[in-house]
Amino acid sequence: MTLKTSMLVAVLALASSAGALAQSGTLKIVSSLPRTGSANAQTGTIVNGIKMAINEVGGKIDGYEIVYEDWDDASPQRGNWDPTVEAQNANKAVTDSTIIGYIGTFNSGAAKIAMPELNKAGLVMISPANTYSGLTKPGMGEANEPMIYRPSGSINYFRVVPTDDLQGPVAAEHVAGSGAKKVFILHDRELYGKGIADVFQKRAKELGLEVAGFEGIDTKASNYKSLCQKIKFSKADAVFFGGTTQSNGGQVAKDLRSVGFTGMLVVPDGCREEAFIQAAGASNLEGNTFVTFGGLPPEQLTGRGAKFCEGYRTMFGTEPEAYAVYGYEAARVLLDAIKRASTKDRTAILKAVAETKDFDGALGTWSFDANGDTTNRVFSISSVKGGKFVFERRAGDAPAGGAKTE
Amino acid sequence: MEWVDFFLQQLITGLSNGMIIALIASGYTMVYGIIELINFAHGDLFMLGAFLALTVLGALGLGDWSGASAWAAVVIMLMASAGFCGVLNWGVDRLAYKPLRNASKLSLLVSAIGASFILVNLGLFWGGVPMDVFAGGVAAAAPKDFPALVPNTNLLGEESLVQFTPKDVLVWAVTVPLMVGLTWIVTRTRLGKAMRATAQNPVAARLMGIDTDRVIGATFLIGGALGGFASVIYSLYNNTISFQMGYRAGMDAFTAAVLGGIGSMPGAVTGALVIGLVRSMSDAYLETRWTNTIVFGILVLILIFRPSGLLGSRAKEKV
Amino acid sequence: MRRLPVPILAYFAIMAALPLVMGTTGLFYDAFQAIFVFSLVGLGLNVVTGFTGLLNLGMAAFMAIGAYAFAILTSDIYPFQIGFWWGILATVAIGAVAGFLLGAPTLGLSGDYLAIVTMGFGEITLDVLKNLEAVTKGTQGINPLPRPTFGSWSLDLQQERGWYWLLLGFVLLAVLAVRRLERSRSGRAWLSIREDALASQCMGIPPKRTKMIAFATGSALAALGGALFAALLSSTGEPASYDFQVSILALCIVIVGGMGSVAGTLVGAVVMVGMNSLVLVKLADWASAAGVGSASNVLASPNNWKYLIFGLALILVVRLKPDGLLPPRLEGGAS
Repeated sequence: MTLKTSMLVAVLALASSAGALAQSGTLKIVSSLPRTGSANAQTGTIVNGIKMAINEVGGKIDGYEIVYEDWDDASPQRGNWDPTVEAQNANKAVTDSTIIGYIGTFNSGAAKIAMPELNKAGLVMISPANTYSGLTKPGMGEANEPMIYRPSGSINYFRVVPTDDLQGPVAAEHVAGSGAKKVFILHDRELYGKGIADVFQKRAKELGLEVAGFEGIDTKASNYKSLCQKIKFSKADAVFFGGTTQSNGGQVAKDLRSVGFTGMLVVPDGCREEAFIQAAGASNLEGNTFVTFGGLPPEQLTGRGAKFCEGYRTMFGTEPEAYAVYGYEAARVLLDAIKRASTKDRTAILKAVAETKDFDGALGTWSFDANGDTTNRVFSISSVKGGKFVFERRAGDAPAGGAKTE
Repeated sequence: MEWVDFFLQQLITGLSNGMIIALIASGYTMVYGIIELINFAHGDLFMLGAFLALTVLGALGLGDWSGASAWAAVVIMLMASAGFCGVLNWGVDRLAYKPLRNASKLSLLVSAIGASFILVNLGLFWGGVPMDVFAGGVAAAAPKDFPALVPNTNLLGEESLVQFTPKDVLVWAVTVPLMVGLTWIVTRTRLGKAMRATAQNPVAARLMGIDTDRVIGATFLIGGALGGFASVIYSLYNNTISFQMGYRAGMDAFTAAVLGGIGSMPGAVTGALVIGLVRSMSDAYLETRWTNTIVFGILVLILIFRPSGLLGSRAKEKV
Repeated sequence: MRRLPVPILAYFAIMAALPLVMGTTGLFYDAFQAIFVFSLVGLGLNVVTGFTGLLNLGMAAFMAIGAYAFAILTSDIYPFQIGFWWGILATVAIGAVAGFLLGAPTLGLSGDYLAIVTMGFGEITLDVLKNLEAVTKGTQGINPLPRPTFGSWSLDLQQERGWYWLLLGFVLLAVLAVRRLERSRSGRAWLSIREDALASQCMGIPPKRTKMIAFATGSALAALGGALFAALLSSTGEPASYDFQVSILALCIVIVGGMGSVAGTLVGAVVMVGMNSLVLVKLADWASAAGVGSASNVLASPNNWKYLIFGLALILVVRLKPDGLLPPRLEGGAS
């Protein structure tokens, strides 16, 4: 640096410290979601939600320009999230000092890889989709969880979605409440699907339901006719499937009906997307299929949530999928923290995110608790009618069995 | 006797699944028989056939398909997909395999892997076509529902616990004549003779005046067409298609071809039926999550005791 | 070292020096760490497929065995906790034993029958890892794993140069071992089996034992690659990280590089994995920075083109260089 330019810098620094100039600079937000392959449909809506939130503040906060980059944590070979790529993304984020927020991941398995790295760097991470309880809650997962994700000792990971340990029981209570006696539990052997099926099973037994079977499916199978026939012959009157559209939830629903199973089918929020109805065929889901979801569905949202839906429609020309609002909420909570912290400093922004209290969000008014989880425990149960998700009732925050249809 | 019903049901399901695998497997085994290539792209070609069938259905108009119009639509789709997959397979051979006829077998294999990646990607794009049958193409990667043109009514009566539906009939009615016809082509026609000659020794076949390039082209055409037929049958039976479905279908079919003795047509059918039945029985009586392990475990065991597959001939090793 | 041919020496000289001009961090390191891991797997497959002519479509399974063995032996949720270096050593041994166990009953199979048995083995391994949750933690993956330590100093993921050189060191060790084996009695037996199994048997070369040694060597190297892969991530990832696509990638590395050529394998890994984790990532970044990308149009998202580009590249490479980029005769080696 020559003497001249260094003087110039000094002058500028003086000027800004005198408050004559507004703060300036670029703050970068990145998201790390699987964008190659089958999860793309859901992550696309999350990315839209993030873009929308940034768009709403005009891409600027307190003179800082907010730049967003949409990173892919999948690889073409996998067609799904790839641990190597997720590790690369985490590393890339840590070493780029303009990055002040990491929105991700989609898969809880990917979070396990990124979390410790981002934690050491003190970079805030907000997940719009991870629901595996062990990531944040002590005693829910392995003995060493969640401390292994927090090598620095403090928390940097937050999520705007309620966890599996809350959603599974909601589904079990719904099954028991419907009068079913015998339930067959399926799961996709993934972290999310297996996790939620486990808690479902635990709660179902507590509620006195007979568990006719508990099986992991092969998500790449062409059909599940034999398995579904087994379910039919077991005389179960309800089936819970812990899994997603990607893990072949549509085919499971379809084959259950095609072998003549007429009982209730309950699926978790991983199936709450148009693609699930598309894959399963609307007529197969008609009437006796129920979906649990953390938060209220888009059309039931009031206030800010309703505004979000409207804005989404104008901006993207399509109805928001259930996941879009999580992306939007994750980005907004981060932007809100940036505004409060009003700095480029990662630590200060992290602190501001952690201090989020009574946030006026699209999903309602909520805060982050000491583990980094949302305090929002509202669940909703929807059914499928005429090829659309139809809101049935609120659940979760009300005592079991006491929730009434609204 | 509920357990009898249950067992009969598994037999029906297993055989129907096996038949579909057999159609795909015969495409593998034909190509392997003639140029010794494990055609990795075959499963993905099959996948594109299903996308074409759905597109054709969309172009015909999505209505309330029933009775004669539904069967007419099925025939149109079968023809369209068979033609499309046949020509596409022939084209893939021209572009990706033919230039490598004299290269090592493994370079050819890598070229097939490359072709497979390209076809998968085309399937992803295809899912994004803004048509009603693809749900407007908004979620390109999501699995697509394939309308149930063939009814799921129980031909054994609605009160019977065992289900035997027009879907099963369709699978059998298409697969069996095709396999018979194919065997006839390979064993009784001039083309079949030329194919067998080319398979045994391409140089000698050429010296005998056989246009081996044309014979190989014809093999790809027929093998592809079989994949096309299979794709429509598969789609009507399972009612879901996805751009990633070629992987498992291809792997099952390839395993079937090897299990039966690769290069042998009856072997491919036998292998496929075995795999279909084992999958059903394992899903029904054991645990679904172990099914794949059981299928491949049986494959390994059979190959250890019969190193050339169930119906493969031992003495065919080329020197 | 003195017996290493020029292309290999040049490779290591360039690779060792590259970090000096590439700064201390960045995409470059991520890509090359992956490249070195896959170089090890590729070197292993080159012994099996390149030298000995056995088509193995299940290398990912040996990587998985390596990664999980390493994790179980070193992670603090299990009682063993033998540390990074002992873990690596044990893993290599376990990989070799696994190769032996698969090879013993199956190596009598010819050509493509062996290929499908190895592919089946890959599928079985994935399912077992997924289903035996009590041991493998199912799809959760085992984490965290210990970092390599040198005395009191341990290597963190952020020390990208350190990891880079460490992995490069392992590749160098593997190259030296493979070169040594190639020139040994076993190595010459491999080549002769590949060229003419019947004739070599007549010359008194035991085909089965020769193939077994090749298989065990290849598996040990793949297991080493798997263990380092897991150590680098500090997690085994999920079992699906070692699926068929990974075996396919290993095969592409060996064939694109040049079958039977050690230098070719090294180059193949740079090209194949580099394309995957450097070129395609960069392309997507540029496109996204240029504002391309839309959720509603599948063609507009650069990520959706990755398969196509990768596939085209594979076809073009084998079309233009059917014997690989660096076939053995250009390598300057013995063969």
